[in-house]
Amino acid sequence: MTTATFDLPVVAQKSSNTVGIAVALLLPIALVNAIGFILPVLNLARMSFNEALPGGGIAEAFTAANWTGLIQDSFYIELITNSLMVSLGITLATLLVSYPIALYLHRASGAWRTFLTVLVISPLLTSAVVRTYGWIALLAEQGPVANVIAAMGFQPPRMMFNTTGVVIGLTEILMPYMILSLMAGFGRLDPKVEEAARTLGATPFRTFWRVILPLTLPGIALGCLLCFVLAISSFITPKLMGGGRVFLLATEIYDQAIVTLNWPLAATLSMLVLIIFGAALAVYSRILRMIEG
Amino acid sequence: MMHQTIKRDGVETIGDPYLCLEGINKKYGLVEVISNLNLEVRKGELIALLGPSGCGKTTTLRMIAGLISPSAGKIAVGGRDVTNIAPHGRDMGLVFQSYALFPHMAVAKNVAFGLEMRGLSRAEITKKVAKALAMVQLEHLAERKPRELSGGQQQRVALARALVIEPSILLLDEPLSNLDAKLRDEMRAQIRDIQQQLGITTVFVTHDQVEALSMCDRVVVMKGGLIEQVGTPHEIYERPATPFVASFVGRTNRVKGKRTADGSIRIGSTVIRSTKPATQDDVVVMVRPHRLHIDWNAMSSEQDETANRTAAVLSRITFVGDVIQYHFDVDGSEFVVEESTKKSQVDHRLGDKAMLSWNVEDTLVFGADQ
Repeated sequence: MTTATFDLPVVAQKSSNTVGIAVALLLPIALVNAIGFILPVLNLARMSFNEALPGGGIAEAFTAANWTGLIQDSFYIELITNSLMVSLGITLATLLVSYPIALYLHRASGAWRTFLTVLVISPLLTSAVVRTYGWIALLAEQGPVANVIAAMGFQPPRMMFNTTGVVIGLTEILMPYMILSLMAGFGRLDPKVEEAARTLGATPFRTFWRVILPLTLPGIALGCLLCFVLAISSFITPKLMGGGRVFLLATEIYDQAIVTLNWPLAATLSMLVLIIFGAALAVYSRILRMIEG
Repeated sequence: MMHQTIKRDGVETIGDPYLCLEGINKKYGLVEVISNLNLEVRKGELIALLGPSGCGKTTTLRMIAGLISPSAGKIAVGGRDVTNIAPHGRDMGLVFQSYALFPHMAVAKNVAFGLEMRGLSRAEITKKVAKALAMVQLEHLAERKPRELSGGQQQRVALARALVIEPSILLLDEPLSNLDAKLRDEMRAQIRDIQQQLGITTVFVTHDQVEALSMCDRVVVMKGGLIEQVGTPHEIYERPATPFVASFVGRTNRVKGKRTADGSIRIGSTVIRSTKPATQDDVVVMVRPHRLHIDWNAMSSEQDETANRTAAVLSRITFVGDVIQYHFDVDGSEFVVEESTKKSQVDHRLGDKAMLSWNVEDTLVFGADQ
């Protein structure tokens, strides 16, 4: 008891110290974020209510014209739905090709696992531009993939400068993110639990469906959130592989800001992307609560 | 108790060989972890696979369950060869050391899983799950998630989940080693009771000799992938086949000795006898510490027909609570004697001389190279 009464003030003092240290450590990054991120975003939000003048001018105003214009213009409605659908498709494709790899990596051990993990991460060390050009070379009209398909006696489909190319390229580029997220979320998957299911009479398929899949849902949710966000905001790959024929939110923001010089519209589209991020995050946390509950 | 009622009339009764392992061999690369293992488990029997870690007991259990396949050999259950059958077709209930409950399912769902895989009707499943949970006294926790349960409760859920499918064989992989000592004693009795009630053939893997001796009909002592001895707890304890069994099961004194011309054994200057004659010149003599008797006053070292006697000098005393251990020096060899403690303990000093005696039949003799 004596030690407890002696300890109490010490503990209190210590915790106030820790709070002070925590604040001091967090302050620099908080400042950087405030100046480098929050202020520009607020500025962007303000700009989306300004009025665009022909020739790149901006008139200080407070008008919802940019926003209402988005909803009324069928081009933008198609652009938004197209962006959402393509991003969701890329997310799904990335999930399907990454899941078996992540599951295998989760079960691998020792040096083999290290080697494979390095292999998975290594694409992240090259820039997306280089990898995109690699895909352009592979998928071009007379490229190796087309030649192989032709050699098998099929008419090679058009895989470049259209949505197909963008989906293929982004799927591959996003795979490392998906695999790493999945592996991070596979913590609850104990091989003993799978074995328990097997001994209780579950076939491998039913073991997957009833045990492995539910236990890996947190990883799936995390990977999908990350890949969806990255896909919908990706610019280089859709720009290069779309060949100017694929219109997505990021490429349109670029065009509006740099080519048309309609900054208020670019700001509006940027804010829309932020809103979509927020919605994705809300869906993610909702799903996570459902799984954990 | 061992079941001796073996009937050969085609009807499976207690005592018939039910689970048969024949010439089982398991290699990982070049390393042989199980070598030519042969074992028959009788119907309704609770048998323990006992040994230190790495002896191959868990590997053997996993081969019975079908989770790993043997490199060679045959596994049969009730005459049916299951060697190449996948685990989900084997109809065995396995309880894991870590329980391996499905973390995303409530207790009742965990227990229902095996029944759902068997395609039982909802009403039947509900009935059987309730019965299984009642058996382990967990009806009130049916809707809880495993993470909300204590270790002992999780263990009972795992047991209920394995038993509810009425498996042909129950496999227990160190089910008690994650529980605290008091709970372990309770669960030991509970598992034995349930096993007897259901008359289910059970293989119990453990490294704890007390568990093996106190719960099981027969004990298989394993070491280095080989079976050292198979026998009732009494046989294992009283007539260990090898020095390893003698020292692994129960405590024992172990001293080196030499065979004399007349077949008795010399330890230093003391000559002792055993019921089993020594087969080699260099031998190891083992005596259980509590089978030794200390005579603090008598100083004659005369041998009689039924007892070995030797002069000894007290070198250390260890008080354990319920027992007190006296360490004696006998011509350079150490003998430990255990006695139950009494309230009024006579004090002895280090260096005190005494006569140790023990029955000739309690003297275990092995070849030194065994």
